[in-house]
Amino acid sequence: MQGISSEELLMFFKGERMLSQSSMNARSRDVYGLRCLPGECVLQRAVMVRKKLTAREGRGWLSGTLFCTHFRVAFVPQDGPKPDDNADPMLLADHDVALASIEKVVVVGPNRTKLVTPNSSLKFTPEELVLYCRDMRVICFLFDRLTPDAQVIEMTYTIAKTYQPLKPGSVLSFQNAALGSVEMKQFLSNRRRDTHMNWFESSSDWEQELERCGASGWRVSTVNDRFEMSTSLPRFLVVPQKVLDTELKKSFAHFNEGRIPRWCWRHPRGSDLLRMASFQNNIYHEKDDIRNLEMILFGCQSSLCVVVELGEELPSPADIQLAHSRLRALCLGDISTSVSVPDDKWLSTLESTHWIDYTRSCLRKASEVACLLRGGHLTVALQEVEDRDMSCMVSSLVQVMCDPYFRTQHGFQSLVQKEWVIAGHRFYSRINCHRDNDKEEAPVFLLFLDCVWQLWSQYPSRFQMTDDFLLALHDSIHLPLFSTFLANCQRERCKRSQNHGQCYTPVNGWIDMLHPDSSSDASDPPLPPVWDWALQYSKQRQDRFTQPVPPTPPLQPLLNGNLNTNPDAIRLTDTIPGSVFLLSRGTFSCPSNLLPWRSSSSGIYKKTHRRAPSSENVPGLDRLLKLWALTEFPQSLPSSCGPQGPLDPYEPLLPLLMGPCMGLWRECYLRGALHAQAFSHPISANHPHPVERLAQEVQQLKDKLSQMSTSTDPNLSTKKSEPRRIDTNLNQNTNNGTFLFPAPRTQGMGVPRAAPPPTSRGPPPATAPPSRPRHKDSGGSSKHTFLFGHSSVADSRSEQRYYPTPSNSKLPKGTSSLTS
Amino acid sequence: MEKSGSVDSLGSKRTSSRQPSVDSLSSSSTSRSDRSAQVKPSSAMSSDSVSTSTEFSPELRVKPKPKALRDSVKEEPQLLPNEKVQDMAHDVTYVCPFTGAVRGSVTVTNYRLFFKCMDREPAFLLDLPLGVVSRVERIAAGSSRDVSYGLVCKDMRNLRFAHKQIEDTLRKSIFEVLMKFAFPVSNGLQIYAFEYTQVFPENGWKVYDPITEYKRQGIPNESWRITKVNDHYELCETYPSTLAVPVNIPDEELKRVAAFRAKGRIPVLSWIHPESQATVTRCSQPMVGVNGKRSKEDEKYLQAIMDANAQSHKLFIFDARPSVNAAANKMKGGGYESEDAYQNAELVFLDIHNIHVMRESLRKLKDVVYPNIEDSHWFSNLESTHWLEHIKLILAGALRIADKVESGKTSVVVHCSDGWDRTAQLTSLAMLMLDGYYRTIRGFEVLLEKEWLSFGHRFQLRIGHGDKNHTDADRSPVFIQFIDCVWQLTRQFPAAFEFNEYFLVTILDHLYSCLFGTFLCNSEQQRLKEEIPKRTVSLWSYINSQLEDFTNPLYVNYSNHVLFPVVSLRHLELWVGYYIRWNPRMRPQEPVHQRYKELLAKRAELRKRVDDLQREVTNRSASSSSEQPGSPTRSITPVQTFV
Repeated sequence: MQGISSEELLMFFKGERMLSQSSMNARSRDVYGLRCLPGECVLQRAVMVRKKLTAREGRGWLSGTLFCTHFRVAFVPQDGPKPDDNADPMLLADHDVALASIEKVVVVGPNRTKLVTPNSSLKFTPEELVLYCRDMRVICFLFDRLTPDAQVIEMTYTIAKTYQPLKPGSVLSFQNAALGSVEMKQFLSNRRRDTHMNWFESSSDWEQELERCGASGWRVSTVNDRFEMSTSLPRFLVVPQKVLDTELKKSFAHFNEGRIPRWCWRHPRGSDLLRMASFQNNIYHEKDDIRNLEMILFGCQSSLCVVVELGEELPSPADIQLAHSRLRALCLGDISTSVSVPDDKWLSTLESTHWIDYTRSCLRKASEVACLLRGGHLTVALQEVEDRDMSCMVSSLVQVMCDPYFRTQHGFQSLVQKEWVIAGHRFYSRINCHRDNDKEEAPVFLLFLDCVWQLWSQYPSRFQMTDDFLLALHDSIHLPLFSTFLANCQRERCKRSQNHGQCYTPVNGWIDMLHPDSSSDASDPPLPPVWDWALQYSKQRQDRFTQPVPPTPPLQPLLNGNLNTNPDAIRLTDTIPGSVFLLSRGTFSCPSNLLPWRSSSSGIYKKTHRRAPSSENVPGLDRLLKLWALTEFPQSLPSSCGPQGPLDPYEPLLPLLMGPCMGLWRECYLRGALHAQAFSHPISANHPHPVERLAQEVQQLKDKLSQMSTSTDPNLSTKKSEPRRIDTNLNQNTNNGTFLFPAPRTQGMGVPRAAPPPTSRGPPPATAPPSRPRHKDSGGSSKHTFLFGHSSVADSRSEQRYYPTPSNSKLPKGTSSLTS
Repeated sequence: MEKSGSVDSLGSKRTSSRQPSVDSLSSSSTSRSDRSAQVKPSSAMSSDSVSTSTEFSPELRVKPKPKALRDSVKEEPQLLPNEKVQDMAHDVTYVCPFTGAVRGSVTVTNYRLFFKCMDREPAFLLDLPLGVVSRVERIAAGSSRDVSYGLVCKDMRNLRFAHKQIEDTLRKSIFEVLMKFAFPVSNGLQIYAFEYTQVFPENGWKVYDPITEYKRQGIPNESWRITKVNDHYELCETYPSTLAVPVNIPDEELKRVAAFRAKGRIPVLSWIHPESQATVTRCSQPMVGVNGKRSKEDEKYLQAIMDANAQSHKLFIFDARPSVNAAANKMKGGGYESEDAYQNAELVFLDIHNIHVMRESLRKLKDVVYPNIEDSHWFSNLESTHWLEHIKLILAGALRIADKVESGKTSVVVHCSDGWDRTAQLTSLAMLMLDGYYRTIRGFEVLLEKEWLSFGHRFQLRIGHGDKNHTDADRSPVFIQFIDCVWQLTRQFPAAFEFNEYFLVTILDHLYSCLFGTFLCNSEQQRLKEEIPKRTVSLWSYINSQLEDFTNPLYVNYSNHVLFPVVSLRHLELWVGYYIRWNPRMRPQEPVHQRYKELLAKRAELRKRVDDLQREVTNRSASSSSEQPGSPTRSITPVQTFV
């Protein structure tokens, strides 16, 4: 290894953490400043490097030191905050890139650009190093003239050799590099999962959701507890109370992959949303089966069921894959030649990717379903051949549109867990991060995130989560470290985690088995869920996941399933009970062969059941759909008379789908360097926003007051109570929706760590370092978060979010405690 | 006002002490006070809201609920001072392209067309200043007995009305009456602005004083002086009377320079960098001609401009035109500076097309956005208008100018052919990027008064106020393009501008409305002759009297920052809130702007609390001797009040 001595390397292999303790010499800490993960090896280092900041980060350049470890390319800013040695290990710091997210490495020399592969050799000294990432980030490092040439070249080679173009097997070694060390494994196994979201893994999770939605008449069935009925369905299914498990068991055979109709969600006006796979036709249907199926489909609604056929109007996974790869090529340009689509053809080329068309068709379908559900008491069953792609998409979009809870960060995480992760979206195959099945690859979930972004961008104030959160989720997909995305269904995830000595008990959630070190097989590290954001994002960046101010009107935490006060609800009472309609291409029909066996045994069926559906009822449903079309002309629909009118929290957020209303998620797709402006950004990092300054001042004043109140306590007891009062005032204010400064609680936690209170040296160190990155991030183009800083609402929740880590969860400080 | 209307709840909920008069427009039910020219702040307006942030279309106009006001609604529209009803007709059908035919009554005054339909719930109102009308055409209605009229408007919409054939041949159709008052100039009538006598608390004509503005820039100084050589518009009749020129060029020589520049528009100072002394100067093309004529005085003059900036020994001449057009101008006696004649000068062509290309581009854009939008081909249709490409070229040119001045510390000379269209766009945009003062509301008003109005952008000709000759080749959306560019800047730097989107839309609306005198006439000289400041009201009087409606809550005074926008088409957007605001499907969605205001109130509250705390700390530190030096009270940086 040129440019780095073997001695240094050895020190790196031991882990810099160890070196950076107070007893260690100061030099290594100051020079390197990188906080390694346990077991992480620094392979190469280059000094005097500048990193190009994106518009979101405030543009301009940041100088610091560049590292390549066997897990990531890390960049440590020169004057960044000193790492907190006691903090939990973080996989990636703000400026780092995981090797597995790198797609291409390009160097720019005096007059040339070269794509660097593991085998290529450089004939010039690069001036610039550009990393093209799978998540469409483009990260650009500029070497200074003072950077030793050897370091530059070695750095380039090292990254090119280690970034591991994804292929079968390489993911595993990457996972091991990140999480494989004993300390990491121990650390991860001690992580507690976020209890503020619903994981939908236990039956109580589902019961909680039923209760939240006020969905009576449904129960959690355990027939699939051992995945015997359907391998891809979750272990717990929500079915009508009146259907017995024995009856239920007979239904599985009638559906593709046994994916029977299951309850997903209840609209506050009482409609239920179900999803199912297509019918198996080549099977003999008994009379009882028909009755069972009817019971499942109608759920607790007696009147009406609409089967919404997904597929025809929606893009296929292959379409999505093609559109996404075109979009990538368009936004990133031809990487190796730095040729990009000329500006004057940008719009038409964007159109020809069809990506935006596809978001539109998904949103349109979801809007239709949302309008049906709004109409009153009926069941809407989404039907897709496999029930693992577009039904995830549509059911979750509908819920984002209709249920304010799913527009909060925790709600959205629960939703993804419910409709994608547990429901069996084939993340593993669709992301294809092992590159072992290109045919199945399709970024369906990324299309979903884009759809949610479209909704967010049209109704930003109705979301508690922000586009920063969507972006973080988008980028995490490309990091093959999370159990969330590395399996195709719950069964696979369970199998994997069982190997790790974790077992599952429906009552208490996951319980760690005491396991000897031998069981933690080095080849198969435990994978954390993606929702453990602290592994990837600093507190400051997590704060930006949610809005500084909660949406108005306040979110309704509890939906009442029996709410039916909609004055202009379309009365469906005239509809004959027990009718099943099919919605396809915007029209309703009641085909005789919708249920495959109905035609064969229709005679009996008609006799036993009230009446066959007649098409005269279709207009009632049509009206529901028209309602949606009409909302595009707001004056026709009094209930949505404008943003300032009385907002009905249950009115779905119906997106505008006209050409000019659908935008490109620039913050995600156009983060590339190719089109970035060469000039530096005027609103520089060292100009904090006045509100942030204000927040700091308030904080300082409060510190000062509390300090004084303790010091003056003995003689001035009356004065002591006064600051308290102010303190509580401020707290109240926090709860009322002002989050201009961190809640005092956080501060309280910080102070003991920061040892002695500040004397003459200025502001307490506990406040100063965290504030800095905030300034840096307050770029001109960031949206809501710009004004109000990022010390958001999350602060006030920090205590809840805090993982109650037992003392042994902290990483052992020295090698001596490693064995414990 | 055409865009006063909005969804009822907006107004009715937010009725404050000063709001009613404003609301009256949308409601047309409460008393229409003097302020009725005013438009209501749109809640959808925000520098930040998404592409769907829209203005309100007439179709959205909704009447507030109160039943008691029902009767008053039946009455006439609330008239402005000296506004007189000219004609009225019932049973007129407005053929709305979005919601179908609406039947109601039409009132025509000397200022507006007012259509209302009471049959609908909510009532349907349309309030259109006649200045917006570009053309009225009678459409042959075939076999039916209806007569229909199409109104082509300057603000991206067309309206169509129909009524029964009038039996009485002596009686004129109301639209014949409308034609008379829509084009007062062609019919020997007075533009309504001369009759509008509203008094506002502030006099907008006082917003711009050239001496004060030059003083703000530090002029006169050792290199630049103010000259009164054009006091009587003898040097150049399209220039203002006050000009800033290099110190060492005497007035006599200026006249000889003027002889060599088209229309006598000599290079004069627009802006000077406060530190580097690099300048932005503007002029018209040199009269080089086919023979390559030279002028010693002009060459010396440009050398003097270069010498006035000690930081650089180079001068950049930005010719806004494509080089082909610049060369073609030689045939007409014009042309461009040759680098042989002008040593140390570098000539750059910015490839911005002429007024005719721009007019055609906007026409195509109107075709694409009004009334119907083809969703599946939206992007390629938009691309085919080239509108955004033109916007990009203008922004890119201004960016190059700003970069040369700021980063290169080099003085620049900007011209096109006459120096009143593209030159005005470029210098004012560059100044907006370079100088934070122009990003305030008053500063922006000064910028428009200076670079556009005083330097003779020919508003009368480009807009065609009150003129029925709609095919006039002098009409062109140059100013609209400039405002579009400003909007693009506000999108990229949401916190850098004191004004909001609504401010820009308001300016464009009154560009056509002819309610205010600001945009009348072609030059300072004409305005003086017509006594515009005496006889009309300034738009700034109205705007500055209700600033809070036009204020961007996100504004931070980054006065010393230079804005360098990204000019790639990838980062430009169509200004949906202006061009597509008439489409009711673009409903206003997000009261983001409203939320910002609430937050600002919170901030003010907090600030007060800080002050209280601060006072408390000061009191205590006075009483307690244990206080340490360097207490936080002192470390507090003064909180600036921006909003």
